[in-house]
Amino acid sequence: MTALLRTPATAVWVVLITATAMSWTLGTQHGTHDHKLASVIILLIAFIKVRLVGMYFMELREAPNVLRGLFEAYCLIVCTLLVTVFLWL
Amino acid sequence: MAKRIELDSGLAKAAVWSGIALIVAMIVAQGFLMHFIPPPSPALSAKELAQRFIDRRDEIRLGCLIQCIFWSFWATWCMAITIFIRKMERGWPILTYSSIALQGGGYVFFILIPMTWGVIAFRPETLDPAVMQIMNDWVWFDFLFTWPPFALWMAVIGLAIIKDHNVPTLYPRWVAYLNFWCAILIFPAGLIVFFRDGLFAYNGVGAFWIPFAIFFGWMIAMSVLTLQAIDRQKTRQSENEPVMASV
Amino acid sequence: MPPTTTRPPPAVAAKKIPGEEGVWIFILGDICVFAVFFTYYLVQRSKHVDLFDLSQSTLNKNLGAVNTVFLLVSSLLVVLAVRAMRVAERTLAQRLILGAFLCGVAFIIVKVFEYSERIAAHQIPTTNGFYLLYFVLTGLHLFHLIIGLGVLTALFILARKADLSEHQWAFFEGGACFWHMVDLLWLVLFPLIFLVR
Repeated sequence: MTALLRTPATAVWVVLITATAMSWTLGTQHGTHDHKLASVIILLIAFIKVRLVGMYFMELREAPNVLRGLFEAYCLIVCTLLVTVFLWL
Repeated sequence: MAKRIELDSGLAKAAVWSGIALIVAMIVAQGFLMHFIPPPSPALSAKELAQRFIDRRDEIRLGCLIQCIFWSFWATWCMAITIFIRKMERGWPILTYSSIALQGGGYVFFILIPMTWGVIAFRPETLDPAVMQIMNDWVWFDFLFTWPPFALWMAVIGLAIIKDHNVPTLYPRWVAYLNFWCAILIFPAGLIVFFRDGLFAYNGVGAFWIPFAIFFGWMIAMSVLTLQAIDRQKTRQSENEPVMASV
Repeated sequence: MPPTTTRPPPAVAAKKIPGEEGVWIFILGDICVFAVFFTYYLVQRSKHVDLFDLSQSTLNKNLGAVNTVFLLVSSLLVVLAVRAMRVAERTLAQRLILGAFLCGVAFIIVKVFEYSERIAAHQIPTTNGFYLLYFVLTGLHLFHLIIGLGVLTALFILARKADLSEHQWAFFEGGACFWHMVDLLWLVLFPLIFLVR
């Protein structure tokens, strides 16, 4: 079992859990100050997590460039789109 | 020595094309003639709805006659795919029989649509608008709310392709995943029971346009893919490959 | 008869499609559909910012976070299960898949609890635009998760076979990717609906 755990995916998993804790902390803080910056960071963290799941869990790191490229493009485009709509609409 | 059982590619292709005819007829009759693509809004009052049937009474009657004919081709179109399912599965034909059962229900659901509109348009001037409203709602529920058997058949097709024992497979394997995906995507049609306006009303983008586009897009895609599969089978037969499964 | 061979571990430099092409039509297509929904959610929010923010504050963020952890754990278990299969550790793989399945069930239980909290407070899909989208988006995700449990069941059954054909390997990896997709979607849904304001 320990042999199975010796893979980058496990380290990535720890990062994902930590990032989730960070987002949750940022998202549940109370106070009347403008929450926009925190929300943008939360969205960015979300898509970094999405990309990590794709690259390390779905093994797209070893996939042909076209497939990997499509997924990376998805992360970039959707993240940008959502942050833009959030900030400017 | 196993008897050689050949595919009649002419009949099989005609069956596929009957499905294309079904789609064209729907666009002409339900769309242009009856003005029922998209559906009238469920938020209309009974009187407003009744007026639509009175105004386009003749077009609706004619459109319904046409639709009753062309919806029948749902059965023949499905069989073109089902004969391939039969060849993809080994042993006892559970997927094939499930397919036949699901499609049989399918064309009944479809034909009830023009039949009901025909009844409404039969005497729209004297029929109570509230009754007409219920019947019209009923038609749209029949069209959309009955999505599960169709999604189930898509899943059956996908499953048959995944389990296809032929080498090479009769359909490319990715077609299985296309079917699984379409099966999931038509699910929003089930939300029409909760909303009378907005995204998930029976004239909404989420509950009507998306499932509608997915479903008929799927029919077109499967038609093309089945025609290709029929051509491949013709080539296989002329190259004298051994028979794959007995009927 | 289809060839039955266990796939050898991939060479370090070789590029291979995880699962098979068809799976990616499905996965990429599905995440694109969800991307449309994510965008639609934020556009709707921009028209009713105060309403959305107020309604959002009634959601149980802790339950949402707990569910995120459940899915992350289940994904790790699935990653380990695939690795176990590749070194022919069938029994371990089965246990790992079962673990992932149980995490999925835990998610559903928490979700049912979460939904009942909302319903008890008269916050239902027809209450306002926020709750409509909350229920539809999380409901659609839940629907995918339930299908994912079916996929995990299929993987469990495959893990019990002595030998997998090439197609069965492809399905195994593809099924694992489907489960990761369920996780991935929640990784966006939770912050988007519960935290962003």
